[in-house]
Parts: sequence; structure tokens; C-alpha cells
Amino acid sequence: MRTLRYQRPEGVEAAVSAVNATPGARYLGGGTNLVDLMKLGVETPDLLVDVSGLPHHDIEELPGGGVRIGAAVRNSDLAADPLVRTRYPVVSQALLAGASDQLRNVATVGGNLLQRTRCLYFQDAGKPCNKRAPGTGCPAIEGVHRNLAILGASPHCVATHPSDLAVALAALDAQVLVEGGTGPREIPLTELHRLPGDRPERDTVLEHGDLITHVRLPAAPEAVNSAYRKARDRASFAFALSSVGAALEVRDGLVHRVRLALGGVAPKPWRARAAEERLRGAPATPEAFTRAVEAELSVAEPLRDNAFKVPLTRHLAVRVLCDLAGRAGGPR
Amino acid sequence: MDILRTPTDLAQRGHGGVGESASRPDGVLKVTGEFAYASDLWARDMLWGHTLRSPHAHAEIVSVDTTEALSVPGVHAVLTHADLPAATHYGLEIPDQPVLAGDVVRYHGEPVALVAADHPETARRAAARIRVEYAELPLVTDESTATAPGAPVLHPNRSDHYADRVPHPNVVHHQPVRRGDLAAAKARAEVVVTGEYELGMQDQAPLGPESGLAVPAEDGGVDLYVATQWLHVDREQLAPVLGLPRELVRLTLSGVGGAFGAREDLSMQAHACLLALRTGRPVKMVYSRDESFVGHVHRHPARLRYEHGATRDGRLVYVRGRIVLDGGAYASSSPAVVGNAASLGLGPYVCDTVDIEALALYTNNPPCGAMRGFGAVQACFAYESQMDRLAAELGMDPVSLRQLNAMSQGATMPTGQPVDAPAPVAELLRLVRDRPLPPPRQWETAVGTGTGFDLRALPGGLSNTTRGEGVVRGVGYAVGIKNVGFSEGYDDYSTARVRLEVVNGEPVVLVHTAMAEVGQGGVTVQAQIARTELGVAKVVLHPADTRVGSAGSTSASRQTYMTGGAVRNTCLLVREEVLRLGRERLGDTHPGWRGDGLWLRDGAVVTAGGEVLADLAQVLGDDVIDLEREFRHRPTEPLDPENGQGFGHVQYSFCAHRAVVEVDAELGLVKVVELAAAQDVGRAMNPQAVVGQIHGGSVQGLGLAVMEEIVVADGARVRNPSFTDYLIPTILDTPTMPVDVLELADEHAPYGLRGIGEAPTLSSTPAVVAAIRAATGLALRRVPVRPEHLTGT
Amino acid sequence: MRVSFTVNGRRHEADDVWEGESLLFVLRERLGLPGSKNACEQGECGSCTVRLDGEVVCACLVAAGQAQGREVRTVEGLADGAGPPGGLAPIQQAFVDAGAVQCGFCTPGLLVTADALLERQPSPSDADIREALSGNLCRCTGYEKILDAVRLAAARSAAGAAPTAPGPEAPPAPRSEPEPGE
Repeated sequence: MRTLRYQRPEGVEAAVSAVNATPGARYLGGGTNLVDLMKLGVETPDLLVDVSGLPHHDIEELPGGGVRIGAAVRNSDLAADPLVRTRYPVVSQALLAGASDQLRNVATVGGNLLQRTRCLYFQDAGKPCNKRAPGTGCPAIEGVHRNLAILGASPHCVATHPSDLAVALAALDAQVLVEGGTGPREIPLTELHRLPGDRPERDTVLEHGDLITHVRLPAAPEAVNSAYRKARDRASFAFALSSVGAALEVRDGLVHRVRLALGGVAPKPWRARAAEERLRGAPATPEAFTRAVEAELSVAEPLRDNAFKVPLTRHLAVRVLCDLAGRAGGPR
Repeated sequence: MDILRTPTDLAQRGHGGVGESASRPDGVLKVTGEFAYASDLWARDMLWGHTLRSPHAHAEIVSVDTTEALSVPGVHAVLTHADLPAATHYGLEIPDQPVLAGDVVRYHGEPVALVAADHPETARRAAARIRVEYAELPLVTDESTATAPGAPVLHPNRSDHYADRVPHPNVVHHQPVRRGDLAAAKARAEVVVTGEYELGMQDQAPLGPESGLAVPAEDGGVDLYVATQWLHVDREQLAPVLGLPRELVRLTLSGVGGAFGAREDLSMQAHACLLALRTGRPVKMVYSRDESFVGHVHRHPARLRYEHGATRDGRLVYVRGRIVLDGGAYASSSPAVVGNAASLGLGPYVCDTVDIEALALYTNNPPCGAMRGFGAVQACFAYESQMDRLAAELGMDPVSLRQLNAMSQGATMPTGQPVDAPAPVAELLRLVRDRPLPPPRQWETAVGTGTGFDLRALPGGLSNTTRGEGVVRGVGYAVGIKNVGFSEGYDDYSTARVRLEVVNGEPVVLVHTAMAEVGQGGVTVQAQIARTELGVAKVVLHPADTRVGSAGSTSASRQTYMTGGAVRNTCLLVREEVLRLGRERLGDTHPGWRGDGLWLRDGAVVTAGGEVLADLAQVLGDDVIDLEREFRHRPTEPLDPENGQGFGHVQYSFCAHRAVVEVDAELGLVKVVELAAAQDVGRAMNPQAVVGQIHGGSVQGLGLAVMEEIVVADGARVRNPSFTDYLIPTILDTPTMPVDVLELADEHAPYGLRGIGEAPTLSSTPAVVAAIRAATGLALRRVPVRPEHLTGT
Repeated sequence: MRVSFTVNGRRHEADDVWEGESLLFVLRERLGLPGSKNACEQGECGSCTVRLDGEVVCACLVAAGQAQGREVRTVEGLADGAGPPGGLAPIQQAFVDAGAVQCGFCTPGLLVTADALLERQPSPSDADIREALSGNLCRCTGYEKILDAVRLAAARSAAGAAPTAPGPEAPPAPRSEPEPGE
């Protein structure tokens, strides 16, 4: 039997040093992704450091209107939290659009952000994959890729990031609090995940041993008017073909504040800054929304079988923005 | 040997006879978690088996080195082709499939070696250490590559009985069905529509993985506890492979977690037995889900080309069809699939001139075989799509066009076989059409959210994709015809043993058959029949095993007909024996004994008028009546190889559907709002179970219509072997399904019943697609229909 | 490693557990409780659904070590406290009566999920039932009779529970699409 150790460290420091000391160690949160990947032989850790018992279970209101969320908070608890539901509905909706009750009841915030891609080639330990086995190639580019990236991919990897929550957090400019060997630090969520470039094996900027302890949502008054929409192949319990998280504030018919992020279309949660840029001060009309989203998607480079995601994403994003504009009392 | 959780008798007292919605005798065990499925078995000192499978779809095996695997602590055996003790190949009809690949592998996932170890993870890791060197070979993956000049012949030196009649050695079987004067009919046709259609590869996706426990016996034989659809045909294939006489290979059915055709071929049976015999220890094998997806056959993907000619007033003049089925690497049930597709390829319609040919290919794709409705499902999608096209061309209502051409009792099949039982095709269509349509825009009226609408009633469901914008409704219809039972001259029989005795003053019936209960409720029906025919409250069902004669397969919608028929038949003989004993022992006590029409009711012999003559206890005393008898349906005959003529089928089964869908045309998302069905069941032996079969079959058809497909790519490899990547409908994808049941007796069948399991799977798919076409105006020639097919990108 | 936790009110210990094993494997293969089913073992079908400290989870994705010291309830314990010993819980009886069981492989997981639903929401709408059960796949029934069974169990408990006032309940968690206050 392959040796595999399991530890429940007493505190953050013990957890971090345990992982730092063991190259083959992995943090274990809810396990909904890691345990599956271990069964598939994609992950073969020597040591599981269970961080689900660390004191990161709270959702706290911060002075100034922000919220700090412990990394061990379960997806279901975060989705149901009254503060989050009221101030950041996009977060709650994104969580409820993912997986099933059974998984949300276990999956943690930290684990959700660090889940690995659902690319078929990554999941199959017997196949080449630059993300899983660097240098072996990316069969997805010529192979089965209808659900893979149209934005931000590289000739080395066209995988998408599977998290719904991360899309909402990207839109909200969340900060990720990380404890590493050298003390705590904050990373903007939008900079947590990497584009693959020629190093697709690195999903994030985290180093071995880095532990996500919290996620901080800054105050964002416009997030009260936010929403998440997701297109997938069945009505529930499936990963996104495309998803959109957005927040909008309209004043006098003009876009005052806007946040827009796309999911299921890129190797990381895709903050649509080009679209946001065009929208600020623009009339809150379907035409303006369409032009802005088209500008964002103008850099899309679809593969043979996933060009449908471009209009799909455009339609979804325009719908969300129209919906939010309507609710905010602006013109439709 | 300690074996835990082996199958047990199912005992029930007084729960309904034929025609009642009796509850399942295994129901309580299943809701308490006590029912012993094949993957729940456990034996002391058992080992876990694991299969090493080919990563290539077509390759020469250059070398196999098991040294490293054998050295892993905890490993007890590693077996390869070289270790096989006797026959090296098996197959349902044609023994063309290697137990473990020898010189060559022909599909991705083909078993190459076996490991037995003391922990499943050890077995898995050891298997990864078997060194196999492959040299990849060119692939054949479709008709053009399989029949191209110089194409690799996958099975050279074929000796099967189709071999000298096929147009190419990579064609498993080819069946034309020809009737009428095509040239003359073409001249008469005023309107012609042609179409090409394609179906992707569907998987049965039973929730219970392939599993079993093989226990070596002291007599040198083996006892196998397994989830299968047909114990005896498993044994027929196993005994030669194990090099054992049939009587030393004993099979017992363990709990089966669904089948739908996936368990008709062998999967882990031979492998577990070989490992058990080699190690002298019980060996358990349980497939993981990804292994299950490559470890059983799938539904044949198909390409179909149809040409329908009709008069201006809508009468079919001729139908031509060519149906190409991809059988994958091994024959499995391909010949029967071809026979069904060809003989049922016209659909439930009347047309004097028919020219349909069907064939199945050998390719390097995964082997395809039995799945619910095989052959007929593929044809139905195409001919029903054609009927809609024809209706559009003629400017007719699609239901009226179907009714105008619908067959009825007395019609002649394209095979020349008369339809000599009710065939209420037009009536079934009327029933679904006349139902009120579900109210529009239900998301605005749904209750419970307090927000004025309910996402869950919209396309996209919980994904929050629309608030009703861009949503269009469509309605579609379809009807299909399926044969019941094994066809084309097959000696299709079932066996039932029935034992009647009085225990502690109470009469008890034991029913013992080898019928595989896979969820369909055959055990319920057996108990109902025994209660009805023998008038006894307490019925005990013996576990299905090979100690009794074959029941045939739990497939082809045949078990209620065949094993139900066998149980009834044997019960009637037991009753005869009771009456004989009664007359012998008590005949002088009452003149009623001399009358006709004596029967059994409430544990007593009663006269035709209902007067009690004697309790069974009085008649039987300590005697036991124990009979085992075979039951056969009326014989069929092979189809003529040139023109497909012949009395090929036992019985036909009909179902019609109306689908109502709502489509978010902009995003390409579909919600099936309602799927209404109407089916003639001859006799509803258990009305609740009948409706359950119609619901289940309908949803499998819905899945094929909008989401289910095994993706085979990158050199014929299965790319989505998981429930995340091969999607089946959830409860949120599934609509309300009102059902109309007709009971028009078939006088040839026991109780007048009709096999019901498959027909609802046929028409569901084309009805859903027709509804999507109606909503979108798109042609949609291929299933499953995905979002990108609706958005035109 | 040794893992000990409570299953259906009884303390269990399992020795020699490999650290890579799941709670499902320990239940099925080490504790002799195979009622929770192994249909996918990847969290994709819900057939292994159990209650872990009261919440429904897929036992196949819970690492064995994470069950340490916790309370697990499986299908085998559903009827505990629900009536006379050997009897069925209302949801179990409803599944039998409504014909919601065919092959039965999805049944244990559906029962545990449905039981949890009725506990927090005694009279769910059809859409609520569909949403709550959407993490549980069934391949035989087309779900119609499962829906019937949950309705039946809810109706029976409403009829049976009517005379006694229900106790205080926690406010229900959002089941779908939380809306901002409008």
C-alpha cells in the first residue's frame, strides 16, 4: 500500500510548517475535489494536512462595510449567510449555481478557489496534459474541447477554471488572505489564478505551503444589485459552459458603477475590465451593454468546437446587465 | 467459508394478485439498505480483483511484463492472456471477444491483465506496474474507413454464420427487408422527402457498477454471485473459459442496480472466477464508474438515410432506408440489433413498398450491444423525423398524417408477418394529442418563491439564465413499434419451479426461477401470479440461480411475458396436481370434486361457484408438490437473408409520446415541460409498475434527445467516462409525465399481456426533438441536441 | 490509522484504515454497513448520501480521517426512533407505497436526502422537492414516483402531526436564487 499520512494540525502555524516540510503534502479542506482527484490518480499526495478544523469558520462584518470570510466556511453556509445574501447576492447565487447540496455542505471557500480544472485530459491520468504532467502536450487543443477556454488560453493549455464562486469574487475585487512560511499576505482574487502561458501546471501564484485563511470582500455598495447567471448542459449539477457575475449601479440612466466577471470561458475567473471601462458613464441600455461585452470578447480565440461560447457569453452578460439595470430603476 | 450478505429468500404474505398494484417483495429491504447488491458482497479472506485495460483502440501487444506487479506486497495473482486455462474467447452469439487480449487490442479499455490483491488500492496500483508494450495499428472508426480498400480487417478468418453473407469482413451482419415494386411505387409518389439522421452513442448508465464475488469451491468448481441479466448465458460462456463442466460453474443473482442492456454481455464474471480459481480465495470485483463506462457495451451509434414517398393526400407509397450501426470492436448483440432495425425500420405504419437495409460494422470504437429498445430506438428517431418532414411538405398536421398511415390489427409488416394482435397506433396518438396542454409560462405562476416567478420552471433551471426572455414553446409527437422477446427463430424459453406445501397449517408457495430482477419488478409479478393461480397468501421467492432452468434474458421486454408465463404455467400444473390429490383423497366427500372449473382461493379448493371443498392443508397433508417446467412462446422464424421476409417476431409493443418543450433559443437551453405517453400494455399486471416502466423509459429517451452521449475521440478513445461528463437527466431536467394505459389483450400471450419495458424509450426521443424543432424551426438531424446546435454557432 | 465515529447512534471504531479511504469505504467495507451505495464514488450521483453532523453529504468524498469524532446517519438508521423497532421511517414507507423503488440503487441516498428535506421543510412544493433532490441521480424511475413518494410522506406527516403543535424551527436556508430586497 502506498504510504499516505493524515494529520489534523492544531493551528495555522503547525499546518503550514507540516506542508512546508513535505514536498508531497496537500491541504485538505472539504475534500470534494482532492479526494476525487486522488481516486483518479491525478493527485498522489504523501501527506494530507486537514485544515477543515482550523479556526476559519466565521463570516465577520468589517468596519466600513466589508466582510471577512474564513477559508473553512462551507459553501452552503456562505450561500445562506444573511449578510452575504443582502450585500453580495452574486456570491450567494454563484454558490447555489454550483454542484449539489451534498457537495456544498462539505466544500470550503478555500478549497473552492483552488479546485482543479474539469478538462477531460487533466482528469485522465493516463493521457498527456501539460497541467498535470508538464511537457507532455495538450491534446485538448485538437481533441475534445467544447467546454474549454475561449479567453486567456495558451498553446500549452486551454483548460477552464471550474469555480463559480471565484467568478463572483473576481467581480467584487475580493482579497485572498494567505499564510505562508513568511507571514500573512493579501493577494487580489483576480491575481490569485494564473493564465497558463508556458507553465500551465501552476494554477495560482501560491507557493507550496501557502494556506488560504480568509477571503475579504471590500465594501461595494453597487454589489447589493448584483447577480450570477450560468449556462450549462443540464438544469442543475453541472459545470458552466459560460457564466457571468455582475454588479451594477445606474444613476440618471447612466452606468455609475459596474463590475463584470466571466466564468467557464478562461483558465481563471475572467474580470471583464475592458467591458467595465466602456460602460462607465455609458447609457444603461441593451445596446451599450452589448457593445461593451463585445469589446471584451473581441479578443476571444475560440477553438474548433467552442465558438458557440462567444455569443453564449455575450447573451448571458447582456441579460444580466439588463436585468440589473431594470431592477436599479434605469431604462431597459 | 464465511460469506456475508448473499441473496436471501423474499417472503411476502397476501399482497395482491394479477392486475393489482402489489408492492415489491424486495421493497422493504431496498429502503432499509439491507438488500444485498452485488457490490455489497463480502467473504472472509476475500481478495479484490482489478482489470488492466488498453490505453489504445487498436494496437499489437508486443510484450507484457508482470514481474514488478507481482512483487507488490499484498498482490496474490496477476493473470494475462498466457495464463488462460481453456477457451480464450467468448461472446453472446459469436465468440469473438478475448477474455484477456492476446496479440492485439481492438478497442480503448479492452481488458489486458488482471490483479488480485488484499486491498482494492493495492490491486489498482499493482496493475499500473504491469509493463505492456504496444505498437499502435491503423484505426477503422466508421463505414468509410471500415470498408475502404485495404482497410484493416479486425476479425480475419471469421467462421460465424454471417461471415459469408456480409458485403465486407468488417460488417458483422447485413439485413435487407424488401417488399413491393419499388420502381412502380416511385412512379406513383407525388411527394418525396429524404433525410439523413445521426444518433450519438448512448450509455445505459445503470447506477450499480459491474460487480460480483467469485468463491472457489472444494469440488474444484466456482460459485459466482453476480449482477447480470441472464445467469445461464453467463454460465454458457464461462464454463468453456474456465475449463470446467457447466455443473461446476454455479451462479447466483445478487442485487442488480439497474441494467438496461449493459449487463447482457460478460464484464467481470470470467475475470473474477479466473482469479478465484488461481488464488483459491474469494475474489470480489467492483468496477469504478469510469471503468463501468468502458467495461460494458453501449447503444449503437447510427447513421440513417431515409426516403419517404407519398401521395398528395398523405398516403405512404414507398419507404427506403439505410441504417448503418456502429457495432464497435466485437459482435455482442449486433446481429439482433440489425434485425430489429431492418424489420421495424418502417415504423408502426402501413406501406406496401419498403426497401430498408440495416448493417452493423466492426470498428475500433467501443463495443456496442444491448440497450433498451435496441435497433428500434435508432430507426424510430429517423422515421419519425421523416414523418414530420413529410407532414410539413404536405402541409398536413403531423398527428393526422401518422394516424392516416397508422397500422392496426390485420396489417402486414414489411417482413410479410401479419400483425395478429391489437395495434392501436392511431388511438395512442389520439390519447396524447387530446390531453390539455400544460399552461404557458408556468414560471410566472409557480408557487413557493414569493418572487413572482420560479426559475426552476424555466430553461436553464437553477442556473438563473433567463427570466422568460427569449423563451419559445414547441410541441412534438412521435410513436414507435418494438418487438417483444427474442426473434428470428430463437428458441426463447423460460423455466419456473413452483413448490407448494403446508407449513404450520399455512399453505406456502415457493417460486424459483433464474429470472434476473434488475429493478423492473419481475419478482412482484411472479408473486402476484402465484397468489392468483394458487390462491395462497404467502409466497416465497427463491433467489435466482442456476440450480433451476434458464429463464432467458431480462431484456427485449420479455420477462413478464416469458417468466411470468412460466410461473403461471407451472402454477397451473401444480394446481392440477392439487386437484388430482384432492379428488384421490377427498373425492368421495363432496360431489363438487367431480365438477369442472375447480380452482384455488384463500388457501382452499373451491368450486366454480365458489363453494369451499377443502383446505389445502387437508388436501396436501405433509406432501409437497414441487414442479419445474419450461414455457415457450409461439415459434418465430429467421428472416430471409435476401429480402427479410419471415414470421420474425413474437409480439409487438406500441407507445406514443407528446413532448412540450420550452427553448431559450438565444442560449440554446431546453426545458421539457411535459412528456405525455400512451401505451398499450395488453394487460397491466401491476399498474403502478407499468407506469414506472413508462416513466423510466421515457426519461432515458429524453436523455438521448438532449444530453447523453459517450464522446469517442482522439483515436477512438472514450473521453467522458464519468457522471460529470456523461450527463443523465436529474429530477430538475425531468418533466411531469402523464400516462394513458390501454389494455387490449393479445390472445397469444399469458393474461393477454404485452412486454412494456422498451417501447417508451423509442418515441420519447423523436417527440422531444420534434418539439424543439417546432420551437426553433431548425432541422436538427442529430441527437443529442446541444446548446450549440440551437444557437447555430 | 484508527478512526472512530458514531453511526446511527452507535460508536464505531475501524482499525487499519488506509488514509486514502473514504467514509463510504469505511462504512461499507469495514463497518458492515453497505446501505450507502457506491454508484460513482466521485460525488456525482448522490447514491452515497449520508448525514454528517446532520448535513447531507456524499460519503464517497469525505476522507475517512475527517469523520473522526463525528456523527453519521445512514439509511440503516433512518427508522431509528421513527416507531416500533423493525418498522420503517415515514419516507421509507412512502417510497415503498408510491412505487418509487425499482432497482433501488439510488434509493438509500434519495431517502436520506428526502428525509433531510422534510425535516427542514415539512410541506415542500414540487419545485422545492425537485431542487432538493437534484443531487441524486436515478436511472430507473424517471423521478415521477420519487416525487410522489416525497409528497406522500409530507402529506401523511401533515395529517399525523396536525394535532400536536410543531416545535420552533430554524428559519429555512435559501433554496434557490436569493433575491436582494426589492
